[in-house]
Amino acid sequence: MILVGELSLWVALLMAAWTTTVSFSGGLQGRPDLVKSGERALYATFGFTLLASIGLWTALFLHDFSIKFVASYTSSNLPKIYTFTAFWAGQSGSMLFWALILTTYSAIAVFTNRKSNRAMMPYVTGTLGIICLFFLMTMCFGANPYERLDWIPPEGRGMNPQLQNPGMAIHPPMLYLGLVGTAIPFAFAIGALVTRKLDTQWLGAVRRWALLSWFFLTIGIILGMWWAYVELGWAGYWAWDAVENSSFLPWLTITAFLHSIMIQEKRGMLRKWNVTLVAMSFLLTILGTFITRSGIIESVHAFAQSPVGDWFLWFLIVAAVSTAYLVSTRLNDLQANAELESMVSREAAFLYNNLVLVGICFATLWGVLFPILSEWVKGDKITVGPPFFNAVNGPLGLLLLALTGIGPLIAWRRASTSNLKRQFTWPVIAGVATFAVLFAMGMRQMYALVSYLLAGFVFGTIIQEFVKGIGARRRMYGEGLFGASMRLIGRNRRRYGGYIVHFGVAILFCAFAGLMFKKDLTATLKAGESVKAKDAYGSEWVFTSQGISSFEQLNRRVVAASFNVTRDGQSMGILSSEKRQHVNAAGEPTFEPSTEVGILESPKQDVYLVFTGAVDRETAAIHINFNPLVWWVWFGGIIMAFGGLIVMWPQAVRAEREGGYVAELPSESAMTLVGAGA
Amino acid sequence: MIESRESSHEAAITTRRLFLTRAGSVAVVVAGSVLISRTAWGQDAATPQPATAPGGEEMTSDSYKPVVRPAKANAVKQMDEKQLEAFERNLACPCPCTLDIYTCRTTDFNCGISPAVHGDIQRLVDGGHNADEIMAAMTQTYGDFILMQPRKQGFNLLAWFAPFAAIAIGAVAIGALLRGWRRNADVAAATRASAPVKIDPSIEATPDELARLQAALREER
Repeated sequence: MILVGELSLWVALLMAAWTTTVSFSGGLQGRPDLVKSGERALYATFGFTLLASIGLWTALFLHDFSIKFVASYTSSNLPKIYTFTAFWAGQSGSMLFWALILTTYSAIAVFTNRKSNRAMMPYVTGTLGIICLFFLMTMCFGANPYERLDWIPPEGRGMNPQLQNPGMAIHPPMLYLGLVGTAIPFAFAIGALVTRKLDTQWLGAVRRWALLSWFFLTIGIILGMWWAYVELGWAGYWAWDAVENSSFLPWLTITAFLHSIMIQEKRGMLRKWNVTLVAMSFLLTILGTFITRSGIIESVHAFAQSPVGDWFLWFLIVAAVSTAYLVSTRLNDLQANAELESMVSREAAFLYNNLVLVGICFATLWGVLFPILSEWVKGDKITVGPPFFNAVNGPLGLLLLALTGIGPLIAWRRASTSNLKRQFTWPVIAGVATFAVLFAMGMRQMYALVSYLLAGFVFGTIIQEFVKGIGARRRMYGEGLFGASMRLIGRNRRRYGGYIVHFGVAILFCAFAGLMFKKDLTATLKAGESVKAKDAYGSEWVFTSQGISSFEQLNRRVVAASFNVTRDGQSMGILSSEKRQHVNAAGEPTFEPSTEVGILESPKQDVYLVFTGAVDRETAAIHINFNPLVWWVWFGGIIMAFGGLIVMWPQAVRAEREGGYVAELPSESAMTLVGAGA
Repeated sequence: MIESRESSHEAAITTRRLFLTRAGSVAVVVAGSVLISRTAWGQDAATPQPATAPGGEEMTSDSYKPVVRPAKANAVKQMDEKQLEAFERNLACPCPCTLDIYTCRTTDFNCGISPAVHGDIQRLVDGGHNADEIMAAMTQTYGDFILMQPRKQGFNLLAWFAPFAAIAIGAVAIGALLRGWRRNADVAAATRASAPVKIDPSIEATPDELARLQAALREER
């Protein structure tokens, strides 16, 4: 099977090359036979990539250490689940994983469009073929997961202990599912550009893919935050690290696209912009991959430096230049008859939403690339760290939060003054009340206060929308509260699913602001000694050392420090943090020791304890953090994903109707009248 | 004859404009990528980085450089424990952790550098040096790399202002775009208002009713 897998990789490469060649030539010459052949070759590319992947998994489970990848990232005593996830633990394996997702997506996209978008499909298939070809080429000629060693080591190196975590088992697949998802809309954009079919039709084909990509990216990013929080031990979840940023960038442009797509659907405007956003999302994904894999920028998450990085750079350049060429030659086709009745309208709000999202994207990319620019221009190495990103993106984030609340309140086309007054009253009251209550309770941090004010406003907006929608249904159809809520969401999944996503976003902002009240301290405690600390809520905590214990467990030796914890005299149980020295099958230590943090979790705050080191057999050095509201980051993330799922859920055609409480048109004759008038 | 000349002239203009847009976009992309690649390769050649990743290579402590200053006579501490922590949060750890000194040393990445730098700072504090003096000593040895964020001066001002400038330009552009759309709408409304609305002639209605319907439909548009 391993050999079959190895050979399949090369066959997949040939198939991808064939897909690209015949699809494009079939499209250009208008020959359906070639087009058909191209599509079949794409299915074959998927089949052989799948075989290649099965081959690598086989090698991992059979512990075939003659393969460099297997020897570098696993050992025979690695738990089964991590042997499975080792597939994406290293450079070349993760490339294969990437290719596997890409070919799977491509095959599904081509299959579901086998009867639709026929004029465009040859180029879509061809573009997907090129992308597959590129990934397969980097593997076959650059980083081959099947590369053999000259000798067969008796034992593998094992997996980095920081990757032996459930978060790391699911985070990369989610992220890849999201990142790779940007390739499909990109291919459709290229297809639409080549065939000049730039009306709204191609958007229909990509909207769901863009959503899928957004959905997985959201989950992937939140899981990555969770992993960093529980595993890395620095008591935070986001450090504006280059690799974190490179997953965040396409998320921003896809989010912008999912909003601006509505303007094109409703009004036929923003065609150029939507094509640009789709292309940008894909190009940013490739840029992110380049950053992660080239070693150009330092990061804890980066893969080891490798020549594959340069390949991505060249791919990025080629893709960017060809897209720019296509867009610039089709500017006339992209021209739309843009009309706007009023500057105060949903359309305008969406434009500013897009500006802020793309602005955050630019600021983040700018911060990532600025050290390179500075070094190039001035020759100085400088650091652009979290303080920079927080200072720049903080205000922009709050602006975005404000727009999240404002957008849904403004009517499409034109908002009248009385309409605005009616819509804004309650949400504004909700925001101001939140501010007033927190201020009265003694909160003085301006940044946090503004965050909560805006979050209160957003919650007000969303609740008002639901209350109005549900009320209208109950009046009109006499439904119960539950039935009305369910049907309201069910009949307008995009709108109300979107609000649920907004709800999650506002929760996230509340959680982010909570971290401004973080408190921490360090201490060195002998067994029996204790340390006192006050949290942000004013409670007094006492940590009493229970001493240090050592034991062996699975594939590691563990040194654990345990503490008896009380809050205001009440026992909160025992909190332990471990130092783990992983060992290989022969019992020899592998990798540097890693730390397992102890977290006492609650919606109010996390007590986050890190065992930084044993001073002697009895004395432990610790770092205690009180992190307010971190629980809500994970909760907000789940809400966002849930909302995304509602939006994505296929909707029966019958029920597709805009607005929460649209009255049925009385009869067909009225339709003819309106139709004749238009 | 004249017509064809006119259209060819128009074509020439379009092509020239198209050419410029294309050339412009290509130039931007190429310049950007050259910029990135040059630095990438320059870095490769100059400094083989001791990058440590969950891939798991050796950690080197090459980048630690001692910072020592003689203690002042009758040295009095200028910083307490909390101020020292805050100070360390503004210094980047030279190890590849991308964290600040305080966070790195209290996290245990098995980093030997942040405790060493902390030791230097502690000795400088004990020697009676104040925050500014310690910062000066640090940047003298490590360069601006040791600062967590770029200084707000000189070339680095660009780092701080470019994002806001870009957004301001974007906002102005959107404003202009919206005004353009608004004009389009006015023009379209004016043309529509002058044209009568077509009504299905098969409708049974009095002329007065038709006129009212006409007015209502025009209003609707």
